[in-house]
Amino acid sequence: MKFLSAERIADFFAALATSFELRLPVMLPDGTRSIGTLEDGPIALQGGALDSKPTAVFFPQQEVVFTARDGEVPDTPLPARPLLVVGLTRCDLDCLRFIDRFFAGGWRDDLYFRQRENAVIVAVSGYCGAGGSLLPLAAGNCDLELVWDGSCWLVVPYSESGGSIADSIADSTGSGALQRIRTESLFHIDEGDAIIRRASELLRANRVPDSFWEEIGDRCIACTGCNLVCPTCTCFGVQDWRYRNVVERSRMWDSCQLAGFMREASGHNPMGSEALRSRRRIHHKLAADPERWGEISCYLCGRCDAVCPTGIGIVAVSQELVARFE
Amino acid sequence: MKKTLTVCPYCGTGCALYLVSDGGRLIGVEPSVTHPVSRGGLCVKGWNAFAFVQHPDRLTTPLIRRNGELMPASWNEALGLVVERLQSIQQRYGHDSVMFCSSAKATNEENYLLMKLARGVFFTNNIDHCARLCHSSTVFGLAETLGSGAMTNSIACFDQADLIFVIGSNTTEQHPLIGTRILNAVRSGTKLIVADNRRIRLARHADLHLRHKNGSDVALLNAMMHVIITEGRMNRPFIENRTENYAAFAENLREWTPERAAAITGLEAGEIVVAARLFAEAKNAMIVFSMGITQHSHGVDNVRCCAALALLTGNLGRPGAGVNPLRGQNNVQGGCDMGALPDVFSCYQPVADPGMRQKFARAWGVADLPGSPGLALTHAMDAAAAGELQGMFIMGENPLLSDPDQAHARQALQNLELLVVQDIFLTETAVLADVVLPAACYAEKEGTFTNTERRVQRLRKALEPPGEALADWEIICALAERAGYGGMRYSGPAQVMEEIAALTSSYGGISFERLDQHGLQWPCPDAKHPGTPVLHVDHCTRGPGRFSPADYRPPHETADDDYPFVLTTGRTYFHWHTGTMTRRSHLLDREERSAFIEINPEDAGRLGVRENDIVLVASRRGEIRVAVRVTGMVIPGVVFIPFHFAEGAANALTNNVLDPESSIPEFKVCAVRIRRIV
Repeated sequence: MKFLSAERIADFFAALATSFELRLPVMLPDGTRSIGTLEDGPIALQGGALDSKPTAVFFPQQEVVFTARDGEVPDTPLPARPLLVVGLTRCDLDCLRFIDRFFAGGWRDDLYFRQRENAVIVAVSGYCGAGGSLLPLAAGNCDLELVWDGSCWLVVPYSESGGSIADSIADSTGSGALQRIRTESLFHIDEGDAIIRRASELLRANRVPDSFWEEIGDRCIACTGCNLVCPTCTCFGVQDWRYRNVVERSRMWDSCQLAGFMREASGHNPMGSEALRSRRRIHHKLAADPERWGEISCYLCGRCDAVCPTGIGIVAVSQELVARFE
Repeated sequence: MKKTLTVCPYCGTGCALYLVSDGGRLIGVEPSVTHPVSRGGLCVKGWNAFAFVQHPDRLTTPLIRRNGELMPASWNEALGLVVERLQSIQQRYGHDSVMFCSSAKATNEENYLLMKLARGVFFTNNIDHCARLCHSSTVFGLAETLGSGAMTNSIACFDQADLIFVIGSNTTEQHPLIGTRILNAVRSGTKLIVADNRRIRLARHADLHLRHKNGSDVALLNAMMHVIITEGRMNRPFIENRTENYAAFAENLREWTPERAAAITGLEAGEIVVAARLFAEAKNAMIVFSMGITQHSHGVDNVRCCAALALLTGNLGRPGAGVNPLRGQNNVQGGCDMGALPDVFSCYQPVADPGMRQKFARAWGVADLPGSPGLALTHAMDAAAAGELQGMFIMGENPLLSDPDQAHARQALQNLELLVVQDIFLTETAVLADVVLPAACYAEKEGTFTNTERRVQRLRKALEPPGEALADWEIICALAERAGYGGMRYSGPAQVMEEIAALTSSYGGISFERLDQHGLQWPCPDAKHPGTPVLHVDHCTRGPGRFSPADYRPPHETADDDYPFVLTTGRTYFHWHTGTMTRRSHLLDREERSAFIEINPEDAGRLGVRENDIVLVASRRGEIRVAVRVTGMVIPGVVFIPFHFAEGAANALTNNVLDPESSIPEFKVCAVRIRRIV
C-alpha cells in the first residue's frame, strides 16, 4: 500500500496541480478551513469536515448560466483541465452521491456536470478529525482516499484515475493500520444518527404538533445559513441581468427559509409562515426525502448546526423534538 | 479561485466574511468561523453581500451634465470641473457656501480624508454625514453624561448580562447577529424587557413587552427611575462615588409617578413598576437602544434618560452591563470618530479649540483652519432650500430618499448651483447631480471600518473596480491635488491610518498590521495597547457620570382629526436604507419587492382595507401609494412604512423637525391619513 508522509503532501499536490485544477482544504488567514487552491493558504487536511461545503466546487453559490449577446448564446467551453477535489469526508461523499443523483434526474443539469463529470474526488479519513479524532473510512464513493493513521497518509485508490495517482507514489507500507481503521470505522457511532432517525419516525408518524414549529420559527431569523451550507440542499434562484445588447443569466443558492421562496405571483404563499418554513426544512430531509429517495438526506455533516446563530440546526431541532414528543 | 477576508458592508455589527471570487467574478461568500462577533454565522444580507457588486448598473465612468443630460466624461475633466466650480462658488459666496457630505459606508481613511479636504483644502467646517440622521443624539447625549458617544460595552457582553433592556431597537432585523445573541441569552435564562410598540421578534421572547406610545420614552424612563428611587432600589455607592448632579436629577423625577407616565405612554402604571423592578433587581443589566430612541425631536433627552438609568443602578463599567447604542451603518462609528462632523476633528477634538486647530494645521501643512463649527447635514439641506448654500459634495449618501420631507430635500438639492455625487450606483440623488464620480465599492478597496462595539477592522480588496471607477480615497486625494494641495499623497490607506493614529489618541495604537484578523477596539492609545472592550471601568471618560434631567416633550406632530394615524418609519430585514445595494441583490429584492404599510387589523377594518390593497398615505408634506399589510405587528392608531422604496418613499411623509441639540430629524413620529385606492 502506498503512503505519503506529512512532509511529502505539499510536493504531492504541487505535482498533481500540473494536470488537474486543484481544490483542497486550506487554512484561510483567520483560521477558517475551507476548500481552495494552493494559493489561498497552507494545506489543511487535518481537522475534520471543512467549515464550508466542498460540493460548492460543482455548484457554487452563484454562477453564470449563459451570457447572450444580440440574442445569441455562445457554447460554453468545457473546463480545460479536470477538477481534483480533496478533503471530502465520508458524509460529504454521501452528500455528493445524493446531489449527483438529483442533478442527473429529469433534465440533466449540464452546468453541474460540466465540472463534475471528469472530476477526481479524494476523500480524507482516519485520525484526522477535530483533535485527532477518527473520521470513519469512506471505503468507496470516491476515486482515492487519504487515510491518516497517526503518522502518515495511507493512499487507497478506488478507481482508475485514483489508481494512477496512487501509482505515481513511490513509498509503500503494510496495510495493518488501514485494517485497524477499517475495523474502528465499523464501530464508529455518530450519536446524531440515532437522533435524526428517531426524529424522522416522529415526523413521518405525524407526532409533532404545529406549535413546536411555531416555537422554532420564532427563533429563526431567516439568515438562510442552514440551507446555504447544506451539501444536500440544491434549490437555486435565477436572475437575468439585461444591459445594452446582453442578457446574463445566473443562478444562485436559494433558501426555503425565505418567504419569497414559494410566494406565488398572486401573493398567495403556501409556505407563508415561519412555522411552516421551519417545518419544511426539517421535514424535507427527514420525512419527504426518505419517501422519494429511500434515505434521509441529512448525512450529519454538522454544518447547519455550526452556522445557525440561534441553535436550530437539524440535529439540535431533532434533539428537541425527540426529547419532547417521543 | 480566491477567498478574501473582509467585513460585511451592511450594518454596524461588523461580521467578518470571505468574498469568494473566481476569474475576477464574485461567486459567493463564506463566513469567518473564528471571528469574535459573527462566530461563523451571517445574516441574510451578509450571505448576499456579494450580489450587487458586479451589477451592470454600476457606475463606470465620471458623468457631467451637458444640456441637461448626464454624459460620460474623463476623470481629468470631471475632477477639474468639480474643483473649479467649488472654488468659484467659494470666491463668490465665501468658504461656507459649500457643504461636504461624508459617508458611513466609506472607510475610516476616506472619512478622514474628506474631513481633511473640507477643512484643510476648502477651509470650511461644513462637513457631516448620515450619523446626523441616526445617532447624533447619542453622540451628544452620551458625550454629556458619560464622556464618550459610543457603545460602552462589547457584543460579547450580551452573553454575560442578567437582564437586557431593549428600547427602540429591532435588533434581530437590524443587527441580526447581535439579535441572535439576545435570543440565545434569553434561552439561557437572561431576562428581557422590550420597549417598542411594534411586536418585533424579540418581543415574542420577552419577559415584559411594553408597547408605549411613539415618542413617550422620556415619560416611561423617568417613571421607571422614579420607582427605582422611591423603592430605594438605586445603587447608592455607585451614585456617591461615580456620579454627579444626582440630587437635582432625583428632584426632577419626584413628580414622575408611574400613574403620570401611564397617561402619557398608554401603558398600565403596573407595567412600568414591573419594568423598573426587573431592571433594578438584575445584577448586570444592559440597556440597548437604537433609532427608536434617537430619531425624535427630543432624541438627546431620550439618550440622557438611558444613561441615567444605567448610572442610577450602577450598570456601567463592567461586562454584561452598560449603555449600548447599536450603530446602524457598517462605519457610522468610524465616520464620527474620523471627524466627519461639523464641530470636531477626529475623535471629537473640537474645531473651536485653537490648540486643536494648530495641531491639525501643523500636521497638514496648512497655515490655518476654520474655527467656527459648520453646518449639520440637516441644516445644510435647509440652507440649500433657502438659497443660502450653493455647492454640495456628496460621497456615498442618497439624501433624496434618506432625508426627512422629500419635497424639501428635492427642492434643496435642485436649488444648488453645484451638486457633485460620488457613489457606486446612479442613485436618486445622483440623478440630480451636475457631476457624478464613480466609486469603488467595499469589495474593491482596502481600508478600515469601525463597528458598533468600537472594533476597528480591515476590509480587503477582492477584485478590481468596474471600468474607470476609483476608490473614494483616491478620488478625494486627486481632488486635493487638483485644488493645489500637495499634502494628500499616500501610498495607500495604511499610510492614511498612520496619519490618523498620530493625530487621534484613541486610534493611536492602531495600524493595519495590528488589525490583521479580528481588529482592535478603541480606545487603543499605543502600539502595545490591547484595545478596550468595556468603557468607563474605573471612572467615566468625562470623570464622574453626569445625571442629566430630562423633561417630557411630546413629538412635534401627533394624530388629529385631519391626520388620524401616527406614522413611524424604519427598515426591513432584507433591505438596506435606500435600497441602492439590496434592491440590486436578487434574493433580497425578491423578499421585499415594493413599499408597504403595516396597519393593525382594527384600523384596517375601520378603513375598509384588506391585505395587498393599495392605499394613499398622506401627511402635511406629501403623499405616497403603498400596499397594505394587515398585522398585529403595530398597535391601533400607529402605522409603519419602511423607507427603502423610491416608488413609495416614506420620507415623502416624514417631518423635518429637528432635535434642538443634535439636529436629528423626527423620523419616528408624524401624523398621516390613509385612503383606499385599489
